[in-house]
Amino acid sequence: MLLEVDGVTKIYKKGVKANDGISLSVGRGEVFGLLGPNGAGKTTLVSQILGLTVPTSGTIRIDGIDVVRKPSVARQSCSYQPQAGVPIDGLTPMQAIELSGRLHGGARSDVRARAKQLIGALALEEWEHKAITLSGGVMRLVSFCMAAVVPGRIVILDEPTNDIDPLRRKMLWQEVRKVADAGSAVLLVTHNVLEAERCVDRLAIIDGGRVVGSGTPAALKSDTADWLHLELVLEPGSSEPELPSFLRRPATAGRRMIGEVSGSALPEAIAWATTMRKRGVVEEFSIGPATLVDVYVRHVTANGSHD
Amino acid sequence: MTDSLRACKLLFIWQFHRFKRFLPMIVVIQVALAFGIVYGLAFLIPHIDSTTALYLATGAPTVALLLMGLTVVPQEVSQGKLTGRFEYLSALPIPRLATLATDVFFWLAAQLPGTALALIVAAMRFHFGLRIGWTIVPTILLVAFSGASVGYGIAMLLQPQVSMQLTSFISIGILLFSPINFPMERLPSALQAIHRVLPVKYMGDLVRWSLSGKATGSIGVAFAVVAGWCALGLLTSYRLATRRR
Repeated sequence: MLLEVDGVTKIYKKGVKANDGISLSVGRGEVFGLLGPNGAGKTTLVSQILGLTVPTSGTIRIDGIDVVRKPSVARQSCSYQPQAGVPIDGLTPMQAIELSGRLHGGARSDVRARAKQLIGALALEEWEHKAITLSGGVMRLVSFCMAAVVPGRIVILDEPTNDIDPLRRKMLWQEVRKVADAGSAVLLVTHNVLEAERCVDRLAIIDGGRVVGSGTPAALKSDTADWLHLELVLEPGSSEPELPSFLRRPATAGRRMIGEVSGSALPEAIAWATTMRKRGVVEEFSIGPATLVDVYVRHVTANGSHD
Repeated sequence: MTDSLRACKLLFIWQFHRFKRFLPMIVVIQVALAFGIVYGLAFLIPHIDSTTALYLATGAPTVALLLMGLTVVPQEVSQGKLTGRFEYLSALPIPRLATLATDVFFWLAAQLPGTALALIVAAMRFHFGLRIGWTIVPTILLVAFSGASVGYGIAMLLQPQVSMQLTSFISIGILLFSPINFPMERLPSALQAIHRVLPVKYMGDLVRWSLSGKATGSIGVAFAVVAGWCALGLLTSYRLATRRR
């Protein structure tokens, strides 16, 4: 494996535990998702891999080299899109992408050609040569290009799709896949479970600084294979209805309730949800195949944490 | 070495694009400031003789170089910490002090034309001769990097709000209580003792000697003290830049 994280723990001076025995590995050509609620310890892990934060214990290896001891190897190996984006005030997107590529060691002509290609692939031509304040989404796409123009052996993308319109989001996922196909290991930090389900090869769910579930999306969903996903949106102001016995692993977030229903209980579940809607308790409901959201919610709520 | 120079060149281009909108304004301010200082001196000391004028006019570049390191450099670090720029640059595969070196060279380039002009105008106005020696180049670099490493260290260690207060405090100390613009004998003996150890007085001596050929102390000692402090400052900056959370 190209990136191997083994038993990484970080305890800050005041006793705050940012992560706790995290182990995971990412191979060449793989898109690996790091999912978890706010404050789960994802960004700390990224900072440790980049060599900016030193773990209290545990090892991080890139291509077999201990980067906790040699942080310069981490910087040489990684390209990084920070969550907040990269401030590029005064620069045009083209200038920023070119500079980033050359700072990562790329030759001028190669970098320019690749920058052009990325700008085209993400439909950013409109802003290519404009040194103006960019919208959040465009700035994030430019930050992605800055990480992908001369990709490291490991490409770390922290929430790359936030604020991005659905069309460009699709284009972005295609480019992420291309970066992996070209041989990089892509570590993708995200809150967006549904998107991750479609785009990652494997993933780890992190909560409270620990890995609470990991594997391929299909493997993680395996024990929900014969179950369906029920989602209810409660009417504003109405209280939570009494839950029927056929509803497995119910969870509530605001007005939204989700749970799992077995195939055999489907008619019963539809009848119950319809009655709830007629009574004005439920605004709308849907039933479909189980998704990674169910797995995510189960792991995170079992760990006693909420986003 | 080639990689370091390449990284600095690219970061310099980045800085140029960031500030190019403001460069005309910066240059105009520097030039205005240059004339202002010369004519301001004449108001401050009505019957200024050419020796005093030389002291003041050659002290001004030292103060300007130190203030650059103590104000612009920490401001860049503090602001970068808030915007995320600092974190991004820290993760790049470039030498740890490349950003500091780039900041010093960039602001030197922006500042030096104004400073040089002030000096020429002062020499003409107060009738003293300039004799610029080759030592001006290492002197400028030593003074600029010494000041910058102090500013950098403070900004790395402290929260932005506190670091701005502290660097302002040090700047005022340098402006008022350092024997750059006046002979050291005018200071109380306690301050004289401090300034025999600190590099500020020696910086003033070096700059004056490099610009006028007039030695106001042992130049060898001055070089040794300033180089020693500069090395210590850069070493500390390096330690802070490679420090991990």
